[in-house]
Amino acid sequence: MDIKELFAKQEEIKRKNLNAKNEKESEITKVMTFYIGDQVYGIEIPSVIEIIGVPHITVVPGIPYYIKGIINVRSKVVPVIDMRSRFGKEEKEYTDRTNTIIIEEAGVSVGVIVDEVIGVIPVFQKNIANSPDRIGVNDNKFIKYLLEMPDGIKLVLDVAKLIYDGDMYLTDE
Amino acid sequence: MRRFLRYDIKVTLYITARAALQPAMCGKAMEIFMAKVEPGMEAMVDVYIFETTALLEQLDEILLRTEKANEFTEEDINEIFRIMHTVKGSSAMMGFENLQVLAHKGEDMFFIIRENPEKMTDVGFVYDLVFQMSDLFKAEIDMIQNDDNYEPTDFSDMLAKLEKGAKMLKGELDGIIAEESAAAAAAEAPAAVPAADPDCTTVRVFFEDGCKMENIRAFMLINNVKESVDDVEIVGYVPDDIESNQDSANTIIDNGFLLSFRAPDPKTVFSAIENSLNVQSYEVIEANAEQKAAETAPAEEAAPVKQQTAEAGEPAAPSAPAPAAAKPAEKPKSEQKAAPAASSGGGKQSLISVNLQKLDQLHDIVGEIITTESMVISNPELEGLRLESFTKSARELRKLTADLQDTVMSIRMVPLTGPFQKMNRIVRDMKVKLNKDVELVIEGDTTEVDKSIVDNLNDPLMHLVRNCMDHGIEDTAEERTAHGKPAKGTIKLSAMSSSGEVIITISDDGRGIDTEKVIAKAERNGLLVKPASEYSEREIQNMILLPGFSTNDVVTEYSGRGVGMDVVKSNLSKMGGTLTVESKKGVGTSFIIKIPLTLAIVDGMEIMVGDAEFTVPISVIKESFIVKRDQILNDTKRGEMIMIRGVCYPMLRLNEKFGLYSEVSDIEDGIVLLIESENRGICLFADKLIGEQQVVVKPFPKYLSQYDIKGQGLSGCTIMGDGSISLIIDVNNLIGTH
Repeated sequence: MDIKELFAKQEEIKRKNLNAKNEKESEITKVMTFYIGDQVYGIEIPSVIEIIGVPHITVVPGIPYYIKGIINVRSKVVPVIDMRSRFGKEEKEYTDRTNTIIIEEAGVSVGVIVDEVIGVIPVFQKNIANSPDRIGVNDNKFIKYLLEMPDGIKLVLDVAKLIYDGDMYLTDE
Repeated sequence: MRRFLRYDIKVTLYITARAALQPAMCGKAMEIFMAKVEPGMEAMVDVYIFETTALLEQLDEILLRTEKANEFTEEDINEIFRIMHTVKGSSAMMGFENLQVLAHKGEDMFFIIRENPEKMTDVGFVYDLVFQMSDLFKAEIDMIQNDDNYEPTDFSDMLAKLEKGAKMLKGELDGIIAEESAAAAAAEAPAAVPAADPDCTTVRVFFEDGCKMENIRAFMLINNVKESVDDVEIVGYVPDDIESNQDSANTIIDNGFLLSFRAPDPKTVFSAIENSLNVQSYEVIEANAEQKAAETAPAEEAAPVKQQTAEAGEPAAPSAPAPAAAKPAEKPKSEQKAAPAASSGGGKQSLISVNLQKLDQLHDIVGEIITTESMVISNPELEGLRLESFTKSARELRKLTADLQDTVMSIRMVPLTGPFQKMNRIVRDMKVKLNKDVELVIEGDTTEVDKSIVDNLNDPLMHLVRNCMDHGIEDTAEERTAHGKPAKGTIKLSAMSSSGEVIITISDDGRGIDTEKVIAKAERNGLLVKPASEYSEREIQNMILLPGFSTNDVVTEYSGRGVGMDVVKSNLSKMGGTLTVESKKGVGTSFIIKIPLTLAIVDGMEIMVGDAEFTVPISVIKESFIVKRDQILNDTKRGEMIMIRGVCYPMLRLNEKFGLYSEVSDIEDGIVLLIESENRGICLFADKLIGEQQVVVKPFPKYLSQYDIKGQGLSGCTIMGDGSISLIIDVNNLIGTH
């Protein structure tokens, strides 16, 4: 009983802290930004495991064209998605600048190939633009929110949707 | 560096990120537990399930051992006490109240046994009762683990049984007399009424088994008596809350319905009871007998009875006799049990339990170290340098990493003792049900195999042992002695390892397989592919493993549902194992299981197709050769075939199959592998062979499981020494899709 009460109290404190933080418009997260074509996209840092170049990709049959295959990331086999191809853009040959960002969501790791990683920026509540209705649906279903930064608008990707795509079904196996 | 950075941020952002990601991060598992467990306890459920299952297995083991040896030491009792106590405590902590109460009742019973250990072996029902309880526990734990909409089960039947058992043990008498005295003790006030009032008669009425709503029936009985007998006065009845309390029905089932009345001629009342609906039997309780019964009951229980007697003029009886009786016995127990629990809780185990995932992680890291090591030692920048001490240290390092790898591999290996010991229980239960005297002999249960194999062995083993019990061993001892065999049947379960494989044999000394019956049945089921006379004895025996075959026409509780041996066989082949039968009519049957020591390692042949590397399991490769162009036959659909020793095999070009670019297109430039599985063969065309290698099988990433890669003929992948990935070819699927 005591444990439960304690737990409840802790949750309460957490929630209060969170609210307080939001009110003060303190930094709420950090976002890693990168180019896909001319557009700047971002992924929230907690989802990012690491950034590597483009390693040798082993082609696997029977998967969609935008999944390029599997790679070996420190003895872990990880599938890689070409973001250009995922977003319906023309594919480009990989260069020195091309990066693979390894992201993870609920235990599932995926590598996403992007044109170029820019850096990490802090995000404040005031930066988050009021999302138009079009965000999060149809073609924009991978967008979590827009960031209005002094140097331009950045689209922050929804990692969960990117991995657990709406038309995908993950079995436990 | 990046990793550190990431964790650093994670800490500062913990609250924010957690809150933001919460809905997405809630995996399926979490949602399930949310429903049945207090928030914050989810993480502990796994631990609870693991611990409780282990404890229950330990309990079963002790019980089986003591039952067999027919003796019960103090140590055993203390151990059981500790188990029950721990289960009770952890169930209470997790909020599984029903399990807590059940464990508590079990503890009550062993409290009595601890005082008189000889009762455990003298009184037969104890073992059955405790086994039943342990089964209920396991079923419930299973439900907690697997059922998304878990609802606590109502154990009141079992609780009543345990209570009754405890009372029977408590009374110095056993059997029916004990039952009577227990019931009488529970009866309390009305039972004592006659002592104060000689005119009063008490009867105990039992209703028909399974007539349901006993409390309502009892109520109707009272009305019936009142109506049909004019000058009757109902003094009291137990339980007295039949109108309001549904649970009183259970009390009536167990103890009967007690009715005290005052009438000039009791016989008229008796006939009224006889004529009431659903009454199975009734008995008149003599005043003297009641007093005797009251004396045999412990003093704590007798005291309230006396008090009630004083005010017996009033028909009000205590509302809940059973719990009231149980309570006084509880207190001294909790004080006493603290001592043995503390003394035996010191922990004699030298084992720890580790999450399998962590072991896999460790395994991965070791693989990584070995790859990195070879990258350092054979680094091209070191070339041409004189490095005497470096070479020496490098050799040392290589030896240590090899040791490390062996150790990590061995951690995953567990003995077969667990699944083997479980069979003891199955044999015990079936022995009673089928009325066959059978002994289970276990050999080589310390043989170690990979943990994942052990987990999957339970079902096949159980099925085979049941099969031996049900079909193998003769139905009667006479049948056995007539054939010159000992009356007691034997089922032998043995395991040994030989060259990377574990061989498990389940054999009985029963009647063996009747080949004539089998072939007749196979013919009826249309399973024959050639004339019956052309089958060898061995082939016929192995027919029982075919899908849709079951020699037993009668479906029994244990086997003979027609889904049987073929399911066992396919389960085993999923693990890469095989099942064969050897039998001699009149002598016995043996089932032989062969499984690889570990699922994780495959002997493979590495082949190149374009710039992709594939692994073909060595076990399916018949031969590899280079063919001449004129050996190739073309069918009408541009398909290629090749004739080898009179058999025509289709040719599959792997580059075409997997859509890979390859410079080798001329059949004479590449290499052909003839592979065979399940009596079907196919030729694979690849660019070149690289060589034989043991590879560690890894499943495809979870993310790709939504696509049918297995259907494409690939079973998994492996990371090669140079860090590249090789895809493992699944021969069965490849042949199937072609």
